[in-house]
Amino acid sequence: MSAPTDSDIYDKICELLKPYNPKNLPIERSSGIMSDLEVDSVAVFDLIMELEDHYDISIPMEMVSDIKTVGELVNAVKGLTAE
Amino acid sequence: MTALFDKYAPLQARIDMMMKIGSDALGVKFDDIISATRGRIGNREILLAGTNNYLGLTFDEDCRAAAKKAIDDHGTGTTGSRVANGTYSEHTDLEEALADHFGMPSCIVFTTGYQTNLAAISGLAGDKDVIFMDADAHACIIDGSRLTNASTIRFRHNNPEDLDKRLRRQGEIEGGNALVVIEGMYSMFGDIAPVDEFVDVTHRHGGYLFIDEAHSYGTFGPTGCGIAEEQGVLDKVDFISGTFSKSLASVGGFCASKHPEFEITRKVMRPYMFTASATPSNISAARVAVEKIKSGGHLRDNLKARAQQLHAGLSALDFDLCAEPSPVIAARRPNEGVAAMEWNWLMENGVYVNLAVPPGTPQSSSLLRISLSAAHTEQDVQTIIDTFAKMKASQGEIMSGMMSKLQAAE
Ligand SMILES: Cc1ncc(COP(=O)(O)O)c(C=O)c1O
Repeated sequence: MSAPTDSDIYDKICELLKPYNPKNLPIERSSGIMSDLEVDSVAVFDLIMELEDHYDISIPMEMVSDIKTVGELVNAVKGLTAE
Repeated sequence: MTALFDKYAPLQARIDMMMKIGSDALGVKFDDIISATRGRIGNREILLAGTNNYLGLTFDEDCRAAAKKAIDDHGTGTTGSRVANGTYSEHTDLEEALADHFGMPSCIVFTTGYQTNLAAISGLAGDKDVIFMDADAHACIIDGSRLTNASTIRFRHNNPEDLDKRLRRQGEIEGGNALVVIEGMYSMFGDIAPVDEFVDVTHRHGGYLFIDEAHSYGTFGPTGCGIAEEQGVLDKVDFISGTFSKSLASVGGFCASKHPEFEITRKVMRPYMFTASATPSNISAARVAVEKIKSGGHLRDNLKARAQQLHAGLSALDFDLCAEPSPVIAARRPNEGVAAMEWNWLMENGVYVNLAVPPGTPQSSSLLRISLSAAHTEQDVQTIIDTFAKMKASQGEIMSGMMSKLQAAE
C-alpha cells in the first residue's frame, strides 16, 4: 500500500470527526480540535484509536498532547504513515 | 490581556448552569456523617448510596479501636516521608499482611490510592518501555504514565483482542518491555475486566500485567483479593494496586507484586519518597480491615444480594443500566442537565448518589451512579428503588421545574 496523501488524511480525519461534532462546526486545518470543535479529551483519544486502526499506526499519547489543531494531526499521521 | 483565571470561563459557565437548577453536585457539604449508610444535611437524614464504602467498615468497632490505639501509641502524624522519617511498625505490619493475602513476596503502601498509581507506574516504566492502558483507565493511571518518558498507547476498553492487535503493531520493544495497565472493576460503569484473557495476551507478548483493584479488592474473590482471584489468575498477575479509601474504610493505597525486585522502586518512586507517609491511625484501621476482608464472605454475599436487588429493581423501572449487577450500578441519563436536575431531586428526597458527567465518564455519558455497601439493608435498597420510581413518575414536574429555574435565572 502506498502512503496516503495529505488530502486523503485530511478527508479521513474530517469523516472521523463527524460524530464528535454534533453542532456541525466548520472544520479547517487551523481548527483547534478541543478549543474550536469542542471535542472533549476522552473523545479525542477515541478518535486517535480509530485513526491508528485505519492506518495501522501507533499514535502514542505523549504525541497527542502536542497536537492542538486538525492540521497538526494531519501532519502527525502523515509522518507516521510515511515511515 | 487575559487574567490568570480567564481560561476557566467555560467551566465556570457550566457550573453556573448547574447552580441555577440546584446545588453543586461536586461540592456537597454534609453536616454530619452518622454511619456507613447515613448522613445529615440540616434536619434531613440522607441515605448514602454513593460513597464507595463497599463493606461498610468505616464505623466498624474493631477498625475504630485500632485507629484510636495507634494514635495513643504512636501519635497523630508521621510528619514526613518514610525515606526521611523512617518506617513505623504499622507500615511494615500492613505491608506484610497484604503481601501475605495476595501470596506475593512484595507489597508497598502509599499515602493515597492516587499516589499509588502515580508512584508505581512511574517507578516501573522507564524511557524505553511502552505502557498499554485501557481506554477507560482512571485519571491516576493516566497521570502516572505522564510522569514517565515511556511511550503510552491506549487500547479499547475491556478488549483483549484489541490489546493483542496493538501489541503486535508495536512489535519488538528494543531495550524495553510492555507494561499493560487495566482495572478490575471499573468505577463509573461497574463493569468487570476479563483479567484471565488479559493475562494470556500480555504474557504471550512477553509483557507485564498491572491491575488496579481499587474498587474490587475486598468486594470480589473467595478471600476478597479482587477480580484476579475471582477469575482464578491471581498468581499470574505481575502487579496489583489498590486503595484503602473504599473497602478498607481508611485513606492510603498499596501495590503488591509477585516480583521480589519490586522493592527497589522504593528508592526511585517520587510520590513515595517526597510525601509524608500515612498516619499510624489510617494504617491501623486498614490493617484490621484486611482481616475483615479475608473473613468477609458474609459481607460480600450481602453486597452481591443488594446489587442483584437494585439492578432488578431499576431494570424493572426501565432505567438504562451500564453493566451487569455489581457493587457499582450506574443509570445512563439523556444529558447533563437532566442528570443534574434528577440528582438534586434525589438529594431533596433523601438519597445521595453520584452525578458523573464528561469528561470523567466513558462514552461522554451523563450518569446517576450508585455504589452499594454491605451495610445497606434490603429495606435501604428498596428505599433507593422506590425513590427512583417516584423520580420517574415526577419527570414532568422535575423538567418543568428545571425550565422555570433556568428562566428565573435569566
Ligand atoms: C480506579 C481507581 N484507582 C485509584 C483511585 C484513587 O484512590 P484514592 O481515593 O485512595 O486516592 C480511585 C478512586 O478514586 C479509583 O477509582
